Amino acid sequence: MKGRHMNLLSYALNCIYRYKVRTVVILVCLVTSAAVFSSVAFLKDGLVKEGELSLKYAPDITVQQIWAGRPTLIETSYVGYIQEMAGTISVIPRIWGYANVGNILLVIMGIDIDNMFFDPKETFPMEEGSFLSPETPNSVVLGKAVADILGVRVGNTLTILTESVTPIQYQVVGIFNSEANIYNADMILMNIDDARLFFEIPENLATDIAVYVWDPQLVNNVARDIGELQNLRVVTKDIILKAQETTYGARSGFFSVLWYIVLISVAITAFNQTVVVGHESKFEVGLLKALGFSTSDIIEIRLMESAILGVIAGSFGITFGIIYDRVFNAPIFRDFMLGWVTLYPNFTLPIHISASTIFLIYVITILPLLFATVIPSWINATVDPDIAMRGARA
Amino acid sequence: MIEAVSLTKIYNQQKPNQVLAVTDANLSAPNGAITVLVGPSGCGKTTLMSMIGLLLTPTKGKVIIDEEVVTSYSDNWKAIFRRKNMGFVFQHINLFPHLKALENVMIPLLCHDMDPAKFKDQALSLLERLGLAERALFNVEQLSGGQQQRVAVARALITEPKIIIADEPLTFIDQESAKAIIDFFNELRSEGKTILISTHSYNLAKLADRIYSMKDGAIVGETEKEGARLFNIYIK
Repeated sequence: MKGRHMNLLSYALNCIYRYKVRTVVILVCLVTSAAVFSSVAFLKDGLVKEGELSLKYAPDITVQQIWAGRPTLIETSYVGYIQEMAGTISVIPRIWGYANVGNILLVIMGIDIDNMFFDPKETFPMEEGSFLSPETPNSVVLGKAVADILGVRVGNTLTILTESVTPIQYQVVGIFNSEANIYNADMILMNIDDARLFFEIPENLATDIAVYVWDPQLVNNVARDIGELQNLRVVTKDIILKAQETTYGARSGFFSVLWYIVLISVAITAFNQTVVVGHESKFEVGLLKALGFSTSDIIEIRLMESAILGVIAGSFGITFGIIYDRVFNAPIFRDFMLGWVTLYPNFTLPIHISASTIFLIYVITILPLLFATVIPSWINATVDPDIAMRGARA
Repeated sequence: MIEAVSLTKIYNQQKPNQVLAVTDANLSAPNGAITVLVGPSGCGKTTLMSMIGLLLTPTKGKVIIDEEVVTSYSDNWKAIFRRKNMGFVFQHINLFPHLKALENVMIPLLCHDMDPAKFKDQALSLLERLGLAERALFNVEQLSGGQQQRVAVARALITEPKIIIADEPLTFIDQESAKAIIDFFNELRSEGKTILISTHSYNLAKLADRIYSMKDGAIVGETEKEGARLFNIYIK
């Protein structure tokens, strides 16, 4: 049986070559749509993955103070109270906020190096220099994008204006190495005391409180207990993750809709070619049947044709999608997916290429084409060969 | 032996444009013999040939080949039966225009479980017997109508079928090609092939071991060996 299938495959390849116009039209449309979908899907997967990575060492629960319905500084006296709740292993006040440096809005994050729940040197690998140490005040570690935009390297001095427009100089001691990490790319990391000084936040206040729980299954219980305290907002890691997935999912969904429209157009074109203007195709089916090809042979030929075109289009589409994301940094889609392009024009987007996404692209690239070409051929192949040939000739 | 029993074909049955193409046709074509169908254009020869060749489902009646009622089987079974047992030559030639002569000859092999390349010599040999050895690698569009029909004859024989069905094979071709095909059919008969031909050609009808004449969709005459005379009478 293998020989017959190989023969049918060679005939299918011949058909692809023979119907050049149809082949080119279908390939151009399919490659374009697959490239758009691939680019957005890889980008979305990359952003979600990046979000997951950034949350790996994020607190299980973040507690914010709410005043008049808005977040405000939280009293550090909550730390001791939360620490006594069952299930918590670490409760740390954090100082962070935004600052304009050279007309660019950056995140300044202060961390309590002495009381970190995890080893920051492992969590934030460095491209250059070293991590912060308690012995070196007024030192900072920069995100890769910040260092590139400001044109500073390890050893340089960075001057930043505080809330009261007082210039403070910081020594750059390190630069994060993860170019694509959107969550530390725009970050300036410093000791918590330096951050407190920078934002002029009193000792008894913090931006928020990070809570770590020893058993993930207890997170909701602890969160519920904290939520019972008045004027506190409790955000769990899961909620942040779901919010990220929803945001990127919705944005990529928009492109998916566009992609489907293009794909349906391809299917209609293929169907039209096979049925409406497909007299040649109809005659061919009749003649092949007269020469001994069965209906299943005809369908197998069309299946092979569509599968080959789909695989070629899918492969080129995926390749172009990767090139578009990797080499050109996804112009247009990048604006849409991130929403803060003006901040980092040179920011390298994180993309994630997974087997499941590639499989999905192939499946939904090939399937519409299969239906559009196989069904008309099946209809032609089920009529008597004489009728098919006469009908096509008429 | 091919037997057609009460074959009837009605197109567009029970519609205003209903056409009774063939009525109650009975025919038998002995193995190893040439059976010829003659009759004016539109009398139903092609329809009857198509029904016998399992290319068209009869409205009524049956086709029996070697005591097997082949019309009662499924579409798929009929395709496999045609693949193994029948070769067709069509009035309109029906070659694939984008292929070379040799490739056209080898097309029927593609639905067989075999490597067509192994039959290349056989295909070339057939083309040689039909006087087309030097045209084997020509695109069919570069061949004359007669040469194309000779390619079609070679195609019908590449799978070595025991039955050849030729529907007005000489209609659109020149005298030289017609002679080549007539001689070839004669050779095929001596090789034991069962041949069924519809034709207007006196020279082709002369070969017949048995002749059926048709008129208005019905078989109106039958004769053996004396076919040439009957055909003479008919064309007069």
